[in-house]
Amino acid sequence: MQGNRQDMAVLQEAVARIDRRHASFMPGIRFDGDPANGLIRFGIPAMDAVFKDGFPVRALHEVRCSLTRDIGAATGFLAGLLAGCMQERQGRIAWIRDPACHLDGGQLFPAGVSMFGLDPARLLVVHPADLKTALWAVDEAAKCKDLAGAILHVKGNPAHFDMTATRRLMLKAQHNGLFVCVLRQGGEEEASAAATRWHVKAAPSGADPDLENGIGLLRLGLVLERNRNGRTGQWTIAWNQQRREFEHAPTDIVDRAAASSDRPDRAPQMGQVMAFKRAS
Amino acid sequence: MRLVAIDETGHKAGLRTGQTLSDARALIPGLDSFDHDPKADAALLSAIATWCDRYTPLVALEHLPENVSGGCAGFFLDISGCAHLFGGEEAMLEDILDRLRAAGFLVGAAIADTPGAAWAFARYSDRTVIAPGAHETALLDLPLAGLRLEPDLLDMLRKLGLRTIGCIADLPRAPFAARFGNDLLRRLDQALGREDEAISPRLPVPELSSERAFAEPIIMQEDIERTAAHLAGALRPGLDKRQLGARELELKLFRVDGHVVSIRVRAASPVHSVPRIVMLFQERIAGFHEDLDAGFGFDLVRLNVLQSEARQNQQTDLTASSGQGEAYGTLVDKLGARLGMDRVQHYVAADTHIPERSFGLLPEAADQDSAAQKLLWQDAARQDGGKAGPVVLSRPVVLFDRPEQVEAIAEVPDGPPIRFRWRRSLYCIARSEGPERIACEWWRDGRGGHSRDYFRVEDDEGYRFWIFRQGLFERETRHPKWFMHGLFA
Repeated sequence: MQGNRQDMAVLQEAVARIDRRHASFMPGIRFDGDPANGLIRFGIPAMDAVFKDGFPVRALHEVRCSLTRDIGAATGFLAGLLAGCMQERQGRIAWIRDPACHLDGGQLFPAGVSMFGLDPARLLVVHPADLKTALWAVDEAAKCKDLAGAILHVKGNPAHFDMTATRRLMLKAQHNGLFVCVLRQGGEEEASAAATRWHVKAAPSGADPDLENGIGLLRLGLVLERNRNGRTGQWTIAWNQQRREFEHAPTDIVDRAAASSDRPDRAPQMGQVMAFKRAS
Repeated sequence: MRLVAIDETGHKAGLRTGQTLSDARALIPGLDSFDHDPKADAALLSAIATWCDRYTPLVALEHLPENVSGGCAGFFLDISGCAHLFGGEEAMLEDILDRLRAAGFLVGAAIADTPGAAWAFARYSDRTVIAPGAHETALLDLPLAGLRLEPDLLDMLRKLGLRTIGCIADLPRAPFAARFGNDLLRRLDQALGREDEAISPRLPVPELSSERAFAEPIIMQEDIERTAAHLAGALRPGLDKRQLGARELELKLFRVDGHVVSIRVRAASPVHSVPRIVMLFQERIAGFHEDLDAGFGFDLVRLNVLQSEARQNQQTDLTASSGQGEAYGTLVDKLGARLGMDRVQHYVAADTHIPERSFGLLPEAADQDSAAQKLLWQDAARQDGGKAGPVVLSRPVVLFDRPEQVEAIAEVPDGPPIRFRWRRSLYCIARSEGPERIACEWWRDGRGGHSRDYFRVEDDEGYRFWIFRQGLFERETRHPKWFMHGLFA
């Protein structure tokens, strides 16, 4: 019995050693906080503070906006994030769109996307005929080791796209070292296996130094609603076109206290926000 | 109403095409008649021609005027090099006739050296297989109608006492041509083989093809996939020998009842390995909205390579790829096979300033040469956001395919709007920049096209829009309209 236990310990140690050796070759498993392992920093101290080791690129994330007209802000944030995440990585990015988004959400404008530093030629645009095949397509894309990222653009909260589906995506993203992101247009917040969930809203831009009544740096109101590896938070950031990166943009209004870190955090909202105001 | 076609019993009862329906009814009171449906006829003929593919890849529909066709439609099958696969010409002909008769068609057929001779024997003789070289003498006894001639010409010849092909075969040619035109001699030469006649096959001949016939028809999808794998394996040596990979493949499933299912797939890069080819078909079949209708089963399965390309032999990287996950080409193939190649796309830039025309989406192919396109994008990026360029985010990230009209109120006719109503909600403009004028493309839109003045506007809540006024006030129109075209971040 004693001998067995010793043998066991030796074997366990050997297994651990093998694991460690293999893990160091495997992308997506993080041992330290360097970019080679898929951890990046935003360069905004307040935001980096909530990510202990850095923002995990190789995982499933979610970017959502509550109203359809916010889709520009959400897409812009995602484009900036992608450009930041993809600097190190080669490979294409699959952009898979649920056909329901197309009706009122328009389409990506390559010239605008390229201004965020993301080369439109890197995008592989997939237009599935329905949501079911869209989910299949993003599953397949997450399996591909040559891709750098996969974006699934959905509208609202489709019933098919549930916890299990997101968990599967998360596992594949981690295993294959992909940046996978759900871009949710006009949906409620929903339980998912994503590492982070961001809520994006357009915020009034600052004054333009050169032009009277001109539009200054574009600002986004950002709420980190969910963070698996740390606290959540709320910031207003601005896109610095010159340096091609986001920067902290303190507004006149004092940033509200960060949402509490232990989930569930916020009181449920009463009623429902409709996509558009009724004019009459 | 006149009779267009008559079945066998009708012929025996003395009906003729061109007769009026009332005359025919007078002859046979209980006559069944159906409306003539040329489209359905054509569809049926094309279905039979597709079915004939199982005998030879060269199947042609005969294109003859209605009054020349001898009362029935026909096909030419070029069976050079195919007959031995079916146990000889007699056996092959018997097989074709048996199957078509079993399907309920009244058919006649003949095999001869020239299409013209086969046409004549199939219609005006009982002989079915004419030995090579024997058609010249055998044709001489057939009536002149066997030469595919116009009825008027036939009448004229009959009045002259010329009834069989033998009557005119050896007559002096020059007076004949002068009197009856070239058509008669051309048809005669074609039938006798003095002049070549090419048939025009419906489908291009596949570059490579392999097939498998089953005594017991297969029904299960797994069996079909296994057969596809087997056929792909059989194609492999041919592809290897030529150093080719297939870009477009077709799996043809011949159902027992004559229906032919054709499944086409395109690969993003030349493929040759069996698992890749089978995967393409699996995804394609999975992408169908309904299951493959196997009916009573498929008795012949054929795999065609429709398009092939030189294979790129790339050495696989020993260190970089860790073996997990799939390659990019496989992903594109898989998505393309399931969704259709036109749903898996990439952006290309176009040389125009009109925003909705300035880019396009093309089907993704792994080996595309998009260097030129990339240059264009990078240019655009550098110009707008490089170190030296103006620091303005001048283009939105989201663009509407079709600009949406908004009701806008501007202070001055050619100034930015103060407020506008879009999708039934009101936006008050807090900041605005513009205009950026994009003139219409007169070479496309014509003389009446209007210029667009684009404004970047921000409302009091922070939403940033790209809206434009179509038409210059007073110079182009009295009442310019406003449109919403995009959303900024």
